[in-house]
Amino acid sequence: MSLANTFYNTLVKRNSVYVTSIFAGAFAFGVGFDVGITNIWDSWNKGKQWKDIRHKYVQE
Amino acid sequence: MATALSFRKALTAPPTVRTLTSGVPSAPLLNLAARSPAGHGHEHGHGAVGPRSDSPAKFAGGLSVSSSGLVSRSYVNAQTTGIHQHRLLHTSAVVKDAPQVPNFEPYQAKSQDNNRALSYFMIGSLGVLSASVAKSTVTEFLATMAASADVLALAKVEVELASIPEGKNVIIKWRGKPVFIRHRTQSEIEEARTYDWKSLRDPEADESRTKKPEWLVMLGVCTHLGCVPIGEAGDYGGWFCPCHGSHYDISGRIRKGPAPLNLEVPQYDFSEGDEKLVIG
Repeated sequence: MSLANTFYNTLVKRNSVYVTSIFAGAFAFGVGFDVGITNIWDSWNKGKQWKDIRHKYVQE
Repeated sequence: MATALSFRKALTAPPTVRTLTSGVPSAPLLNLAARSPAGHGHEHGHGAVGPRSDSPAKFAGGLSVSSSGLVSRSYVNAQTTGIHQHRLLHTSAVVKDAPQVPNFEPYQAKSQDNNRALSYFMIGSLGVLSASVAKSTVTEFLATMAASADVLALAKVEVELASIPEGKNVIIKWRGKPVFIRHRTQSEIEEARTYDWKSLRDPEADESRTKKPEWLVMLGVCTHLGCVPIGEAGDYGGWFCPCHGSHYDISGRIRKGPAPLNLEVPQYDFSEGDEKLVIG
């Protein structure tokens, strides 16, 4: 069975499964997007944020 | 009226003309196609250009000049037209023949299954994106109603408990309201706990009002009209509101006076081994 048919038969065939997987996908996408953008932000601002320079000022 | 007037003008002939034997004045040079002069009576913008609009159409009759003078004809019955057309209406189905249909084969999908899966994949992707957009729209909108960080930073108050001796009240300010903290003595605790609280106006056990029996934390706002009660006063050794005379007992419960409810207990917690009280 081809990839297209596998996709159709597992996810799309029943509307309940389709909608549920869309919402699950939206949740996963939201988390992944958040993590990805945060990583990009952190790497872009490397050395400028408090969590990067905290060890210079706080000795515990 | 205008028509009659025009006709009369058109027919007015000079007085020197001949009269035929029939009695009709002879006017052989009368120009029946003459245009009516501009501004002859009704200023509608028409009539100035083109043939006279008040003369009847040719098919309806009209004036003509004949050898015997002016003749006016009006046809009662319209003339038949000489051109006959076939009616091209019919109800039978049209037989169409299209031998020159191009070959669409190269444009058709190679695989129906791939096509279907791609369509549903695109629909699903759009659903995922729009669900994410809707979710973040709602959450961001709700986040605008939440308290901002500077407000949240002021929302908690820490109190050193060691500085409050037994049997003393402390009033601190929290979110713009006074908060009473009382370090109760053992006899006060007993008094508050043994009282039959079920008969009170706002029945509430002392156990449910305090997390530790020796520390009583309450909002210092009278539940009647919002005055600040006075500590260690009143008939029950607790608080007394000077505005309208509400008496609260040593657990902050309303005992006498107009107030309907007990003094409110805010959210608080003990931290760092009971050394500190965190309100909020």
